Amino acid sequence: MANQVTQEKSQRGLSLDGWAVAIALLLAALVKLGALKHVGW
Amino acid sequence: MASTTAVLRAEPIQLPRRFLAMLPGIGLLTIVGLAGKALEKSIATYTKAHHLVVPNIEYVLWAILIGLLISNTVGVAEVFKPGIATYEFWLKTGIVLLGARFLLADVLKLGAVSLTLVLIELILSIGFMTLLGRIFKLSPKLTSLLAVGSSICGVSAIIATRGAIEADDEDSSFAIAAILALGALALFTFPPIGHWLGMSDRVYGLWAGTGVDNTAEAVAAGALYSDAAAKIAVLAKTTRNAMIGFVVLGYALYWAARDGRQAVGNKAAFLWQKFPKFVLGFLLISLLASLSIFNKDQVNSLANLSRWAFLLTFAGVGLRINFKEMKKQGIRPFIVGALGEVVIAAITLGLVLGASKLVRL
Repeated sequence: MANQVTQEKSQRGLSLDGWAVAIALLLAALVKLGALKHVGW
Repeated sequence: MASTTAVLRAEPIQLPRRFLAMLPGIGLLTIVGLAGKALEKSIATYTKAHHLVVPNIEYVLWAILIGLLISNTVGVAEVFKPGIATYEFWLKTGIVLLGARFLLADVLKLGAVSLTLVLIELILSIGFMTLLGRIFKLSPKLTSLLAVGSSICGVSAIIATRGAIEADDEDSSFAIAAILALGALALFTFPPIGHWLGMSDRVYGLWAGTGVDNTAEAVAAGALYSDAAAKIAVLAKTTRNAMIGFVVLGYALYWAARDGRQAVGNKAAFLWQKFPKFVLGFLLISLLASLSIFNKDQVNSLANLSRWAFLLTFAGVGLRINFKEMKKQGIRPFIVGALGEVVIAAITLGLVLGASKLVRL
């Protein structure tokens, strides 16, 4: 499924993997900068 | 599955509209996941208050079971399907974030052990599934799809290979249904076997990561054992996923030669196209954690964000399994898949136990 989405990359910009990495890095940056603190479980 | 595929094949629409279409399904994933978490907590509180000795059933299993129940009783309405299909996005986001809990040195050490095991597992499982396909007289392309699905990373590998070897939709649906059904079975068999054999978290995690096909089910099988096992399962499965390009390329070359088609042009570009890029994100976060970019509290926050992402993934695992749809695909691919899976699980178990004697895991 991931690769099916990847095949649509040229039509829509980022692939599924690209979005996952981008959002994860954004969250990591928010945690580092202190915008997201003490995330609980 | 068919409808999920249909959603992904839809004509390109505007990003905001696509995002809005996903919201109901993401909401359902959240509700199912939270219900699983609440059930685990309530049962633990009740049994503790009443001094009952009951094995703890993790939120992972509850979330999957609630999803399964919905999918196979009332069914999943069309409006939820685009959002449920995002379970793979949450899985990959969770894996990248989980990189914060690994020091790069650990990744390299365990990754090297995993890579060795994965290479042996790949050769044995592809060979065995091909043999089984011939014995049961499955179509050669269906056999290839089942071999790839069971040796690397389940559904993603099947879809990547389908395009590369020009297999038809029916064969792909057969293979996907078999891999999903067997992945679901692994959730209920791997953890009890691990406990029965008294496996450590690391050894069990390595087994789940190398033995369970689909990434979501491999992570869930690890999480059902323990948090530490889930962490190792993710690492082993990620190593396995990284091999996808090489195996798909091998099959593409084989089928191009057999069908008399033009072989793959630029092999390096092909490998890069098939390489799962989220592995690079995982390594990057792991590198940042190894350089102490994050303090302890921040690492905990990232690990918890990863858990939240996995919670939505596990809800999606249950919601997309529909036994009626699977039954329609016929019994032979399941028999081949099941026989193959039992042997592959036994092979990977032997490999992991052997490795644990040779290398200090």
